[in-house]
Amino acid sequence: MVDIHKDFAEHSVAEFFKKNRQMLGYSGKIKSLTTVVHEYVTNALDACEEAGIPPDLYIQVEKLGQEHYKVIVEDNGPGIPKKLVGKAFGKMLAGTKFHRFQQARGQQGIGGAGCVMYGQVTTGKPTKVVTSNGNGTIYECRLTIDVKINEAKIADEKEYSGQMRGTRIETELKDVLYQKSDQNPDEYLRRTALANPHVKFTYINPDSLTTVYDRAIDAVPPMPKASQPHPKGITVDDLLSMTSNTTARTTKSFLTTEFSRMSSAKADEVQKQTSFDMNKRPKDLTWEEAEQVVSAIKKMTFIAPPTDVLIPISESHLEKALENILKPEFKSVLTRPASVYSGGVPFVVEVALAYSGKAGKQIPEGSSPEQFQDRMEIMRFANRVPLLFDSGGCGITKAVQSVEWKRYGLQPDLPLTVLVNFTSIHVPYTGAGKQAVIDDEDIIKDIRLALMEAGRKLGLYVSGQRRQHESETRLKELMRYVDPVAEALHGLTDTSLTKLKKELKELIEAKYSAGEIEEGNGEELEKVEELEENGNSE
Amino acid sequence: MATASDDVRKKLKALGTKVTKEIEAKESPRIEIPVRGLSNVEYDEKSGLLKLGGQVSKRSFLNYAHAKKFMQTMLVANFAYNELLKTGIHTSLRDMFYALKRTLPGSNENTFEEQIESDHCVVDLEVSVDTLREDLHLSADVRGRVVGPVVIKDRGDTIDWAKLGSGGWAIPSNVEEIEFKKVDAKFILVIEKNAAFERLHEDRYWEKNNCIIVTTQGQAARGPRRLIQRLSTEYKLPVYVFTDGDAYGWYIYSVIKYGSMALAHTSDRLGTPDAKFLGLTMKDIEKYKLEKYTIKAKPVDIKRAKDMMKYDWFQTKAWQNELKTMLEKGYKAELEALSSKGLKFITETYLPEKIKNKDFLE
Repeated sequence: MVDIHKDFAEHSVAEFFKKNRQMLGYSGKIKSLTTVVHEYVTNALDACEEAGIPPDLYIQVEKLGQEHYKVIVEDNGPGIPKKLVGKAFGKMLAGTKFHRFQQARGQQGIGGAGCVMYGQVTTGKPTKVVTSNGNGTIYECRLTIDVKINEAKIADEKEYSGQMRGTRIETELKDVLYQKSDQNPDEYLRRTALANPHVKFTYINPDSLTTVYDRAIDAVPPMPKASQPHPKGITVDDLLSMTSNTTARTTKSFLTTEFSRMSSAKADEVQKQTSFDMNKRPKDLTWEEAEQVVSAIKKMTFIAPPTDVLIPISESHLEKALENILKPEFKSVLTRPASVYSGGVPFVVEVALAYSGKAGKQIPEGSSPEQFQDRMEIMRFANRVPLLFDSGGCGITKAVQSVEWKRYGLQPDLPLTVLVNFTSIHVPYTGAGKQAVIDDEDIIKDIRLALMEAGRKLGLYVSGQRRQHESETRLKELMRYVDPVAEALHGLTDTSLTKLKKELKELIEAKYSAGEIEEGNGEELEKVEELEENGNSE
Repeated sequence: MATASDDVRKKLKALGTKVTKEIEAKESPRIEIPVRGLSNVEYDEKSGLLKLGGQVSKRSFLNYAHAKKFMQTMLVANFAYNELLKTGIHTSLRDMFYALKRTLPGSNENTFEEQIESDHCVVDLEVSVDTLREDLHLSADVRGRVVGPVVIKDRGDTIDWAKLGSGGWAIPSNVEEIEFKKVDAKFILVIEKNAAFERLHEDRYWEKNNCIIVTTQGQAARGPRRLIQRLSTEYKLPVYVFTDGDAYGWYIYSVIKYGSMALAHTSDRLGTPDAKFLGLTMKDIEKYKLEKYTIKAKPVDIKRAKDMMKYDWFQTKAWQNELKTMLEKGYKAELEALSSKGLKFITETYLPEKIKNKDFLE
């Protein structure tokens, strides 16, 4: 098993979190509940995938009282060594993900601890952790976070024998709310299942309803490679925080060793444009000097960043996921070639259009609860994580809305799901809540292109469907006229009634069952002058 | 009578046979119907009548947009063939609508939803097999009354139009078989409005002026139009049309004189090219100082006046002036405006002056 626990680093931000929890997704009662489920599920998936285990997750949200719930998430991952449990869940920014340039679901390592903290702040109760690596011994404890020193406080430790592999975590929460909405944990998990077809989810919601999303593919997707940042994507702040982790002795060697595509010649080019000596120790760089470096880089050209560090869901996996969960009548899936935004950050856009079946959403229409109107549904993802909030301010939403769907014959009242997954090492979120992607021109353009191509394909299908449907309706209507016409002709000519009916039916079938429709040219017979209309009837 | 209906039956049967043959040949069964309406109406200067042009539209059963009308047309053809002509029964358009209306099995759809649909089928049949609704044994509107020094014979009864009390003779839809026994009149006065007709009749205007007065009660139905034409041609009587001074009135006059656009195929039998427009004219309004009694023209009046200015059969100088004046003044007048001069003004001053001076619009 890969040792994934070695590079935990410490950061003291627990107090900061307590005061600014809305920044981390804990704003609003509905959102807070979904955020806790998201954080635990993300941790569980990462743990399993890093260990190469196809994830099998059990999630339960249980209602305990008024705005009082318990969230349970259990995975089949490698388990957490006893020594590291406190760090994994009891410390902010303790994770392995911070300061790494790697495509990942989360980015700040604040997740698990944030949930423990939220539970603790709202209920005063600790979070229960049960974990085992499958060796027959199960470790259990309850933990809280000492806010002042950003340390876990562990209590009620137990060790007992039993068969289990993985980690189960239980946190009680107050000030949260579960309700019917497309922002609740049900929807979060439905979408997560769509973007992660290699995961099996078993979910029990507060109404005790069990939903199982089976895996559509068996293999764990390859782990994204860690990569060095491309110079073009760097900010002053990034640069300075990287200096604290480098072993390089000079600023020049810091640049050439920590960045991709930064050759010695390129570093010299940076030197020419800066006023300080680049033999300076990187740790001694001032903000102003770092600024000089970044602005020098902006004027230079670099080879594009490597894109093999990005692992999108892939067209075939997305198709299987759609089949598995939305069972659409028609789907159009597209993964775009990698592209870059802000000059150097690589990203890959994937879109999927799913039509009919369980796709789209239904909004109630009229007073009757049985009446629904189909609507287009937009599902946004960043690195396979569903973005459920802040849709209005999201570049993905803007891109979807900028497509003229009607041009492809796709009306807003179709049962249509539009899925967009944005894959990148660095997802440019609009805020710390990580629920919306900035509306960057390069990103929007790429999403638009993908949607337009997929939209064309779906449009062809839908208009074909409509034609077929129309043709069937017309066939049926014309068939109604067979009897009266046959009877009239029989009355006029004495031709056999059976023969007439049979021949008329054959004529209609020959024309309309082929799914072909003639655009009827309306007759001009009725252009009777308005003034005469009162003269013709009694 | 028997021959006429046999002839029409032959035509209807021929239509059925043509359609049946097309079905047997696996072709789209279709009926050819001359286009009706302004786009296919020509003004024939020689006869002074509106004639149907050569445009033909094809109503095909397999064309979704035509299918229902095709079915309806066939139902009407069969109804006329078997229910009316074969049995010698006459009926009204409304009766036929009820006789043919039924729900198509397995649907909410009816063979005919509104009477206007079956009415249109009748006109379509008239033009496509070249017959008249009267010959299909379908009666058109019964509207219009007449009084005057005339004696006729109708279904064996002798009727004196001068001896029918206050009501006058109601003009039937079919006047083909009417026999004129005695016609002593010098002219025919056609009046749009029933009220004015009553007034004239009460004053015994027809007796004093030795004329026939007819009210069309609005747009002229086919019976009165045919009656006016017969009297005018058979007895060389001048026809004067007296309507409101507005687009509607002018159109009534136009239909009586030239035939109608919707029924241009019947102009030969229904149009009276010698008819003259007596009033109410724009000049009358000035001459008799009726400005105070005019009505502001509505947008629809303006539009119709403008349309009429373009019609070939309204290109005379007098009519162009009339329409132009109306558009300039922006008003119209009802013939009742004349009553502002006194209730007997129409019979004792206006009409005698107009007729004596031959003050007509043509």
